[in-house]
Amino acid sequence: MNVTINWKKQKQNYLIEKNNKENLDHTADIQLHSWGDTLLEAFEQVCIAMFGYMYELEDVQLLKHHTVEVSGHDMSSLLFNFLNEFLGLHFEEDYFIFKDVEIILFDPKGFSLKAIGYGEKFDRDKHGTGTEVKAITYSAMQIKEEKTKCEVWVVVDI
Amino acid sequence: MVMFDTVHLKAIDKRETFSGCICCQLLFSLSGKRKLNEALLTFAHFSHIEHSIKKKKQRTMSLGQNRSFSEEARYIKNGPKEFPNLKIIDKGFVPGMRVVGKFYADDQLEKLCMDELQEFSNRNQFGGFLPAVKQIANVAGLPGIVKHSIAMPDVHAGYGFAIGNVAAFDMENPESVVSPGGVGFDINCGVRLLRTNLDYKDVRDIQESVAQALFNHIPVGVGSKGIIPTTPKDLHQALEMGIDWSIRQGYAWAEDKEHCEEYGRMLNADATKVSQRAQKRGLPQMGTLGAGNHYMEVQRVEKIFDKSAAKKMGIDRVNQICVMIHSGSRGLGHQVATDALVKMEKAMARDKIHTNDKQLACARINSEEGKEYLDAMAAAANYAWVNRSSMTFLARFEKKIKDKKRFLCMYTYFLIRKQNIILQAFQKIFKQDADDLDMHVVYDVSHNIAKVEQHMVDGKLMKLLVHRKGSTRAFPPHHPLIPVDYQVIGQPVLIGGTMGTSSFVLTGTEKGMRDTFGSTCHGAGRAMSRNKSRKTLDYKDVLNDLKKQGISIRVASPKLVMEEAPESYKDVTSVVDVCHTAGISKKCIQLKPIAVIKVDNLFIILLLLASSSATKMEK
Repeated sequence: MNVTINWKKQKQNYLIEKNNKENLDHTADIQLHSWGDTLLEAFEQVCIAMFGYMYELEDVQLLKHHTVEVSGHDMSSLLFNFLNEFLGLHFEEDYFIFKDVEIILFDPKGFSLKAIGYGEKFDRDKHGTGTEVKAITYSAMQIKEEKTKCEVWVVVDI
Repeated sequence: MVMFDTVHLKAIDKRETFSGCICCQLLFSLSGKRKLNEALLTFAHFSHIEHSIKKKKQRTMSLGQNRSFSEEARYIKNGPKEFPNLKIIDKGFVPGMRVVGKFYADDQLEKLCMDELQEFSNRNQFGGFLPAVKQIANVAGLPGIVKHSIAMPDVHAGYGFAIGNVAAFDMENPESVVSPGGVGFDINCGVRLLRTNLDYKDVRDIQESVAQALFNHIPVGVGSKGIIPTTPKDLHQALEMGIDWSIRQGYAWAEDKEHCEEYGRMLNADATKVSQRAQKRGLPQMGTLGAGNHYMEVQRVEKIFDKSAAKKMGIDRVNQICVMIHSGSRGLGHQVATDALVKMEKAMARDKIHTNDKQLACARINSEEGKEYLDAMAAAANYAWVNRSSMTFLARFEKKIKDKKRFLCMYTYFLIRKQNIILQAFQKIFKQDADDLDMHVVYDVSHNIAKVEQHMVDGKLMKLLVHRKGSTRAFPPHHPLIPVDYQVIGQPVLIGGTMGTSSFVLTGTEKGMRDTFGSTCHGAGRAMSRNKSRKTLDYKDVLNDLKKQGISIRVASPKLVMEEAPESYKDVTSVVDVCHTAGISKKCIQLKPIAVIKVDNLFIILLLLASSSATKMEK
């Protein structure tokens, strides 16, 4: 199958560790913080941030894609399931690294979304590595939705 | 009134009355005007605002929010005199506490907990993380909890449950819950200790060169995929059989089983309850060490506190060499926990279980989700025992293996192919067979698990589901569940230290059985977040400090050195001392590392070793 990849110019709208005045540190783990003009963008970015913590994304090429569909019963469970699905897929597909994620359908009222992740399988000779993210948590999860800027914070277990 | 905050304030600004406010309506009915004289309106509102602020404060107070640190600290008291180092968290500290919370700490460890709480009180309730004391109190609010929610001196903030928290739930109570948060992501993370009959002097002369050789040969930053030696069918059997599978396959000795908690196999394990995704994560990782604080350490006996007990464990002299393995169930355990969390979140809404923290997901023990989790958790626990057995096999460097192919497989699946250099190194050191070396398992403990046990509560025998997260079981002498060899001395408890610090062997006591459901600490416990360690500690300072102690270090990843530096952890010696004074466990042996093998997650190896100059210095 011919994979056509519609790759938008990647924005780096995320911070892997945010250590501001509030001290968002966790004694065991790290927090991902991302933002965007829309919630959709913030969601995409936080997912990329997660893979950015695990691998050096510069070396990753966009060779293949995977589609996921997730739903939740509120916004935070949707975010949790969305990240969990991509992380699970990463392990299931022999360490497939998602360099870019695009949400193509987003239903904020029904709490469901459909997303495509682009990237390639991990190759130890080719890709630089960081620290493995083992699980997503609800701990201190925040979703801030405003008209001009949307932000999300997620703590992941490493 | 509800709108008071925003809409009403706007109305005040415009000098208008607001229909949602009693005072405004009163003034309106009196004067008949919507726009009013400023003085009049201000007066009316002033009393109203005062009143509603007071009311709001009362409401938030009852929810346990927005309290100042000194108000919060009033809930934490010292325990009675006959319980040294025990602190009590009174009911009311968080909403809905069914029992009191307790934690063990000396002044210094208490300060760490209180600092965490202070930081929490100082920021507003939005964002940030719950401090450990709050988490202990939240657990005290779970349905079916018995007696108290108790934490060990190494307690620190975790997800839902604090790490170091022990909680028991009544099995007879239909309301009782099981919580994956109370077990932790790394199911059956634990410590195993192997003894040898070697002496430090046998190893000392060659260790420096071996370490250097190891470091030179080990590639830095290699990838994560191991060669998969096990088939899915093997994995399925391993999940159900635990250590029995290792024995059957020839990776473990039959006598190892006797010296494992639960005899290395949880019988209720059901591999079909472990999701496909979890199995897929577990398959390539079997027999791997894992990252973070996991390690394999060659240690020497530094001090023996209890000679007769140590002798029962086969450790009879100072400077005897031991090998400690600290590892868990890897990605499989994480996936099992995550799967359960997702399912239980839905079940909680159905069963109307309310908790103070979303991460504290739980389900009734008798519900479908609860049962399913317990069976899957048992399977993950079995996986961890197989994992530790596989590494024991590698450390023993078994030559007598019949099936050569299998032997090669075992080789390759220790993290990465080239790591068999480590094995050759061990062989070089030991030069003998594992049998001749008397490399027996002293004990194997688990410090992340939930188990059904019988305990006396207020003079009544009760069947409880005991959650131990970052806490080790410590059963007293003569308990039926501990091995015959240790009936007289009590269950050995293995406490893993951190990079360069001591490890301990403790024994269980009667007092611990009464006060803490037969549990004690599990290790040092983090005092600083990884992030903070990286930011505040200087890489060179850490190395210099280690050097001063006579420990030279070879590092592949400076990040790891800082994250796992002794400064990032609570002092393991004081943690163990607190448990000893509190009487919940007894000190038996102190061990000091001579070489540490640590692996960064994506397999960067860090090797640390106490140089021979250190011993000279000590002398």
